[in-house]
Amino acid sequence: MSRTAVVTGLGFITPIGHDRAGVTASLRALRHGLAPIDFFGNPAVNVKVAGIVRDFDVASPSWRDWRWPARYDFPRETLRSLAPHGLYALCAVEQALADAQLTRDAITDGATGLYCASAGSAFLLHHHVAQMTAARGERCNPLGVVSSIAGTLNFNLAAHYGIRGAVGGFVAACASSSHALGCALDDIRLGRQTRMLIVGAEEVNAETVLPFAAMRALSSSADPATASRPFDQSRDGFVAAGGAVCLVLEEAETARRRGAPIYAELAGWGAAADGHSIAVSHPEGAGLASAMRRTLADAGVAATDIDYVNAHATSTPAGDRSEALALGSVFTAAGAHPRISSTKGLTGHPLSMSGAMEAAFCALAIRDGFIPGNANLTAPEEACAGLDLPRATLGEAPRLVLNNSSGFGGSNVCHVLRRVEP
Amino acid sequence: MNTRAPSPPTAPIALPEAADTLLRHFSADVREAYTRVVATRDPAAADLLVLAIVADHRPRPGAAITDEATLAGDLGFDSVAIAEMVFFLEDLLKVNVSNAEIVRVRTVADLRAFVRHKLASLPHA
Repeated sequence: MSRTAVVTGLGFITPIGHDRAGVTASLRALRHGLAPIDFFGNPAVNVKVAGIVRDFDVASPSWRDWRWPARYDFPRETLRSLAPHGLYALCAVEQALADAQLTRDAITDGATGLYCASAGSAFLLHHHVAQMTAARGERCNPLGVVSSIAGTLNFNLAAHYGIRGAVGGFVAACASSSHALGCALDDIRLGRQTRMLIVGAEEVNAETVLPFAAMRALSSSADPATASRPFDQSRDGFVAAGGAVCLVLEEAETARRRGAPIYAELAGWGAAADGHSIAVSHPEGAGLASAMRRTLADAGVAATDIDYVNAHATSTPAGDRSEALALGSVFTAAGAHPRISSTKGLTGHPLSMSGAMEAAFCALAIRDGFIPGNANLTAPEEACAGLDLPRATLGEAPRLVLNNSSGFGGSNVCHVLRRVEP
Repeated sequence: MNTRAPSPPTAPIALPEAADTLLRHFSADVREAYTRVVATRDPAAADLLVLAIVADHRPRPGAAITDEATLAGDLGFDSVAIAEMVFFLEDLLKVNVSNAEIVRVRTVADLRAFVRHKLASLPHA
């Protein structure tokens, strides 16, 4: 494979920070971004904590009521068709372009593409359908479709930035943005694109979050400091989160020629499904183990080469156990003992954006030389036997990092990121 | 914090909830004009309301809103922007507008006349 791809820009609107410096500081200090949340003013709702998006007010279905940080300025023509998570995404893309030292003019020539991932906005979709119902089908908001269905991110971002390369969206639940990142790598390797923007985003509102409570997938803890505790014996479900993350992925020689900042090489990726259940992970993590092995092979590295694994572990009883067993089969059984952590103890689980967010965390860890610890891990569950799960953040500089993601339907996607020596 | 909304009215005019939601960010003059439109179909109030809605929706914020200004050519409306503005009018005034009616509206004057005509055809509140 002659063409390689490097990460040259990152943008973050996350529960643990709204820029690279803030996110890095939170990862290093294990400072969580979870907070109490109220749904419908109803104390009987058994979801008390979420990974909230601070400094934004997007509670209204009308963009006219929204508030966001003053440093971002967007035109009316863009705002009118956005979902709340689309606003987060625009802010993340603005950061990532600035971080990559790219002007907006530089991404409109067709060499730059855009892959996005979100579940759409159940909140806005519900609002628009309710309007239609109230009008007995006689009227609908003409921007209802493009502002609320899955795909709203790519529709809006492509139009706003004038993207003329490949544009599309990925829908694989919590593995979605990992698929986006992997397919973006393939497009660069194949010479179809020189540069790709990868964006994941989600909302934190009743319409997005509470359906997961119906699946008994969410933590019922009311303590933001400890509600999300991946791999711990006492974990009782995930904590939903929202925000947006953007990565700029660029053909390596192009990036070097223009003197772009380089975080890491995206050295490989792979995907494999469980073929098992619509919602529950394979009990031994068979699909995830297969995805990890495919990814290592794609990157041309061995399990023993990996220094750090950013696990998908969301703090659900079944999912974390499944991943721990998969990690054991790929690494421990091969005599490999990488550091392993789930950063969802800090962020909660932002669904579709999880994979892109954690790939960005891996890029930060590689560039800045640290390995995030496992927040809230006190007593690892027994399936973690043999896994190296540091509690505190380590000042070790990983050279090769694996990033895991899993979604509904048993969709598993992994990436390998590699340090680029100066 | 950022917002694209115009300044809120200094002396809020009480409106029904649905209209209040739509006109929350419009001036007191516009909100008051809406109450007159609903109560009396006052054509001058309808004009004031329509011009404010065109101003709020125009894709070229600096473009002058004259009677002769064309929605597409002068004010920058594309078909989506026109659909958005028409939906706003439909939702606010509780009227239905067909595609055939929309395509006959080219200028601001056309729109003013069209809204007056639509209002005249409605039963009084």
